[in-house]
Amino acid sequence: MSQREYHIVVLGSGGVGKSCLTAQFVQNVWIESYDPTIEDSYRKAIDVDGRHVMLEILDTAGTEQFTAMRELYMKTGQGFLLVFSITSQSSFYELAELREQIRRIKEDDNVPMVLIGNKSDLEDDRAIPRPRAFAISREWNIPYFETSARRRANVDEAFVDLCRQIIMKDQANRRRVQPDPRPGPRGGGRKHPRKHRSRPKCTIL
Amino acid sequence: MADWAFEREEMDKHSSALVAPLKIQKSPKRSRASIFGHSRQSSRGSHSIRSQSQSQISPPLTPKTSTEAMAQQLPPQSVFHNYLRAFYHYNPTSTVSSSTDESSITVAIKQGDVILVHSVHPNGWADGTLLASGARGWLPTNYCEPYDHPAVRNLLNALTHLWDLVRDGENGDLLAFVKQDYVRGMIAGIRFFLERTDCLSRDSRLIVAHIGLRRMRKGLLGDLSSLVKTAKKLQETLQTNDAQVPVYEYMDDLVLKSFKLVTRAVRFLDIWATDAVSLSSFELGDASAERPLTPPSDPAVQPLASPNRLDGDTAPANDSELHVTQRPFSMHGDTASTQPPRNLNRLSVAFSLPSEPDSLQSPILLSHPPSQSKRLSVTHRLSYTGKSQSTRTGNLASERLVTSQDAFLGFIGSFIGLHLQSRSSEELAYITQQSVIACRQLLTVVEEVWERDARRSNELEEARDTMYTRLTELVQATKDMFSDADADIDGELVAPESGKQLVAAATSCVRSAGECAAKARIVIERIGDFEFEVTGLGVSLADAILEQLPEFDHDEEEQVQELKQVETTMETDKPLPATPIEEREAPPPLVISESKPLPEVPQPSPLLESQRMSLQPTPATVIVESPTAVSFRSSRSSVPLLNTIPTPTLSQPAPAELLESPVSVTQGVFSKSAKTDSVNASVADTSSTFHFSMRDTGSVVSHTSTRATTPDHSPSKSRSSQTLVSSFGSCSELRSLASEDLAAGEEHMLETTYVHELVYNKEGQISGGSLPALVEQLTTYETTPDAVFVTTFYLTFRLFTTPVELAQCLIDRFDYIGDSQIIGVPVRLRVYNVFKGWLESHWSSESDSAALGIILSFATGKLLAVMPSAGKRLAELTSKVTEVRAGALVPRLVSSIGKTGISNTVFTPADSNVPASIISKSQLSALRSSKEGKSHCSILDFDPLELARQFTIIESGLFCSIQPEELLALEWTRKSDSKAVNVKAMSTLSTDLANLVADTILHLEDAKKRAAIIKQWVKIAAKCLELNNYDSLMAIICSLNSSMVMRLKRTWELVSAKTKTRLEELKTITDVGRNYAVLRQRLQNHIAPCIPFVGIYLTDLTFIDVGNGTTRQLPGESGQNSVSVINYDKHMKTAKIIGQLQSFQVPYRLAAIPEMQDWMDTQIQRVRSSDQANVQAYYRRSLILEPRDPQHSTRGSPSIDQGTFTAESRTNSKDKFEFLNFNFSTSNLRGS
Repeated sequence: MSQREYHIVVLGSGGVGKSCLTAQFVQNVWIESYDPTIEDSYRKAIDVDGRHVMLEILDTAGTEQFTAMRELYMKTGQGFLLVFSITSQSSFYELAELREQIRRIKEDDNVPMVLIGNKSDLEDDRAIPRPRAFAISREWNIPYFETSARRRANVDEAFVDLCRQIIMKDQANRRRVQPDPRPGPRGGGRKHPRKHRSRPKCTIL
Repeated sequence: MADWAFEREEMDKHSSALVAPLKIQKSPKRSRASIFGHSRQSSRGSHSIRSQSQSQISPPLTPKTSTEAMAQQLPPQSVFHNYLRAFYHYNPTSTVSSSTDESSITVAIKQGDVILVHSVHPNGWADGTLLASGARGWLPTNYCEPYDHPAVRNLLNALTHLWDLVRDGENGDLLAFVKQDYVRGMIAGIRFFLERTDCLSRDSRLIVAHIGLRRMRKGLLGDLSSLVKTAKKLQETLQTNDAQVPVYEYMDDLVLKSFKLVTRAVRFLDIWATDAVSLSSFELGDASAERPLTPPSDPAVQPLASPNRLDGDTAPANDSELHVTQRPFSMHGDTASTQPPRNLNRLSVAFSLPSEPDSLQSPILLSHPPSQSKRLSVTHRLSYTGKSQSTRTGNLASERLVTSQDAFLGFIGSFIGLHLQSRSSEELAYITQQSVIACRQLLTVVEEVWERDARRSNELEEARDTMYTRLTELVQATKDMFSDADADIDGELVAPESGKQLVAAATSCVRSAGECAAKARIVIERIGDFEFEVTGLGVSLADAILEQLPEFDHDEEEQVQELKQVETTMETDKPLPATPIEEREAPPPLVISESKPLPEVPQPSPLLESQRMSLQPTPATVIVESPTAVSFRSSRSSVPLLNTIPTPTLSQPAPAELLESPVSVTQGVFSKSAKTDSVNASVADTSSTFHFSMRDTGSVVSHTSTRATTPDHSPSKSRSSQTLVSSFGSCSELRSLASEDLAAGEEHMLETTYVHELVYNKEGQISGGSLPALVEQLTTYETTPDAVFVTTFYLTFRLFTTPVELAQCLIDRFDYIGDSQIIGVPVRLRVYNVFKGWLESHWSSESDSAALGIILSFATGKLLAVMPSAGKRLAELTSKVTEVRAGALVPRLVSSIGKTGISNTVFTPADSNVPASIISKSQLSALRSSKEGKSHCSILDFDPLELARQFTIIESGLFCSIQPEELLALEWTRKSDSKAVNVKAMSTLSTDLANLVADTILHLEDAKKRAAIIKQWVKIAAKCLELNNYDSLMAIICSLNSSMVMRLKRTWELVSAKTKTRLEELKTITDVGRNYAVLRQRLQNHIAPCIPFVGIYLTDLTFIDVGNGTTRQLPGESGQNSVSVINYDKHMKTAKIIGQLQSFQVPYRLAAIPEMQDWMDTQIQRVRSSDQANVQAYYRRSLILEPRDPQHSTRGSPSIDQGTFTAESRTNSKDKFEFLNFNFSTSNLRGS
């Protein structure tokens, strides 16, 4: 099977540790010298369920204030990591708007997404109780991960889960594009395209 | 991606090469190397360090019958060791049949060899290079143990670095050799090494006290300077762009010299570990003990300080031997150095003996009255030396020469020293005697050398004869003195004045001895070093002293007479037996490898039993021989000489007893040691093995080392003799004066430095370092500091240190460098310059003012004292800095290309080269009236180029105002109190422009008009691109590309295909994919003025900050005592990005139209202030203008189409509210 390339966009307000998350994921090992200016800086090949896929990660870190650019980024993405910091209320609330924008741009309610509560290592400063984040993730019907980019906890899991969603969506789209005699594949099929989605994960350290 | 892989590969090389290392490491390099190998074949000559490696891809068979057992016995290795040290010899031909196979070249290793490991095959064979010979091949790791003594670690790391560089250099990458940083690593390694061993200063106690160390130290520095010279030559060659051929020769030379240097350092450490520490303990004891006779130069006495030491030590030695064989990978060097007095373990004993000449100088011990306890210790001592003696059967003439010369110098030195203090005649007589004996020894060696020389060097003969004469004179002088003072013998003090003649004689004696030794050395070099067959010299010496000892307190005159006779007999006896009298011992290593079935000697204990059995015969011969050798050899070589001397005192009871005792007791000890364990023997045996290895490599190491030291001996000695007479120092001073010519070099080499705390990357750039090390780089004396380095430092130092700390560090640098002309002055000037540059161009009063006091006191204090004008200037600057509150005194030139601090420069139309504004009078008046609210302007009213120009001018004003501080440490992301005002203003402007675009399109009801506006914006965007204004381009394209504009299907249908095509082109340029590959590519080729999309830099800076640690580990310092230093690489990267940005900070030569800018500003303000200026509002407007197509509704959110929120159960309350709001506003609008 040929290698597919998927685009993942990491979103979240400034200071939630997005870049750290991305840097951790992109680097297999903590390499001596990380140069983000080269073309391959944000590309990574991973295996998901035996499928070899190439991920290109777009991280808007540092440009949060360029709100006009946001749409440009979102357009390129097939899957989104919505990152907030468990220590920051505002970063949590800002995600709702981002999610709406994604849905609007994609004109799709079931865009592959993952909710990420980063900085799980700062438990003492937690501002968003876990049940609250979990409730939102259920409401949005997306999985929730608590990660610690600093400790590289749950980072890969979050990306892999998102990737899995993209692959499933991709396959569903392919089936739909192909002449399908079955009536109404959009109706019932799209309501719950991913079975595991009905059971949002709460993956905690 | 590829880069990471490469990096990882680089890491693998050193960290985890255990897993199939050969493929990882070799395949790419080898092919390239072989290409070069061909082209270089002619030039490389005989010594090929790496050429062998090309032919050996697979390691040879394991020298064991079963590979499984081998794998099993190899301890699990978690760390890849760059250096191994053989603790056992290994001879490939005798054990591995496959060694004849050319595909697997194995190298013979000798005990003590240090090996640079390139890779380790899982079967236990390592691909390594012997530092001693430069030979590369496969060798068994189970014969080796990791070598990583903390003292040499820096040096070893430097060597690894050098090796990597040279290998890269073979592939054509000679960049690193243009600079000499890599050699500095070696220098720092040596310095660190000497520092750790307390031998840094020539006057350090150890160096003064220990002849062996002193010599090694000198050799080490000689090697180092030769290495530096080679590096300089290489650098020069590269700079003059000569043909490549000599470059590679230099590189080979460089590697060989480095190997030599490290080999010597390791030997140094061996000696140090054995003797130095115990010496220091001895010296402490010496202060209290009354042993005035002991010359400070003789460490051989040290065991006496603890009489039980050898008893205690033989057992631990056994233990450690067993222990080591069981755990061949344990670190013994460490224990030896940390707890040296007790831990005279196998490593230190075995390795130190051969290269330790001072153990020969046992005569001193005889200065003690023969009491029972002392005699016990005497025997210990003898057994000790005897043991070493037995291992010394393979002595080299050159080494012997040096040893005997040293011994002589030691005695004559104390001889001279004694004359200055009032000493009893007894002591004086004794010392004279010792001197004469030592001198005789030297003569014996010289004699032997002369014999060996087919040409019978006249020069040597002359020098020898001169020395005889001088010695005779000396003896005569002593005799005269004593005959004068004959009346009052017995404890009478000899007045210092009376000894002047004696001193003069002694000094001339020293001079002639130096000459003699130098000549001998020349001869040795000519005829080649040879094994010294007159064995047992040291023992015979001991015997001779023993025999003569009783005499000294009896008849001085007779004694002197006797000594004279000794000389004469020596002369008569002159043609010493050149051929070995005894049958030559077979080299022990061979004996062992033949006597045992397989070379698995260094294997765990179960094997040891059987192995011991097989081993025993061998050591037995060695050991049994040695005690007899004591008598035999003495009787053969030295006793004949002594026999001619009438020895009336021999019959005296006490001395006779003493005379007997050495042999018997020694025998006792030997038999005991032979009985107790074979390990003693193996110690002796292995050390002799080591010695053979030294002989093999003699041409590389010991031979050249003597050559390196040769010049210092004779000429400078005569030069220094004058001072010697007046200062009457001990022999150590004599030696130190002798090495005068090295002093200048030493100053350079051994200046206090922190280079060992620097980390370099592959390109040879500094990627990390401690603050003092970085400051040192800032203030190097030989080269001007690297511009990028300095720029980075000024820009980022506040991120890794405080201004106060930096100021203090600079002052420290000023202090520790000293005030020497060659180094001190230029460095101090640079320190001043760093302060000056800081104050003039990089001062940030907000953060730096704390350091102002320190700087001022430095300027008016230390600096003023040394450099008055500089001190004044700096003091002036400090006051100026306080006056100017904001900004730098001098416009800074942070990057070499770009500059900052240029505010919005307005060019008037009168300026030449400024394009004329495209604006009509009516347009201008329309703008003016719009300001008064009389008329309404649209962007359609103006020329797109002029609009683009005015946007660019506004944007450029902000962009050029961005200060580097705004971009450091994610300053612009701070939500409050951010100093990054200009960065924030740019992002705001960018957003405002995007909103303006959306607003101008979406506020129009008519689709046709909207299409016209879109067309105009596309034109403006295209003009922005022409002006290299990527920031405005991005904003406009983003807005046109946004969902609220793109979804206006009816509008886009009215947009011409030409405009659409143009827009598509612009979209590809602003594509964020592949990490802005298109945009980055374009920016690379641009020259200022240009306004890049700042977002790229911000993202890059964020990831550099997050993806790179603040500290990094010094390489090789793994484990607990790892040292982390500033990750300068991170700051270099940051500075690079900022430098790129700054390179574009050049104002446009464009004429501003204030009216138009005012209008634009008004428009932007209007959009910003309206509550509609957010994405949701625009989207709603968009939906109103062109409501969702019902056919497409299923694709979109069904809830919106149906206008109800019940259908979408997942919608949260916020959504619900928004939908209500949306419906409300829609109806509102419809209503209006």
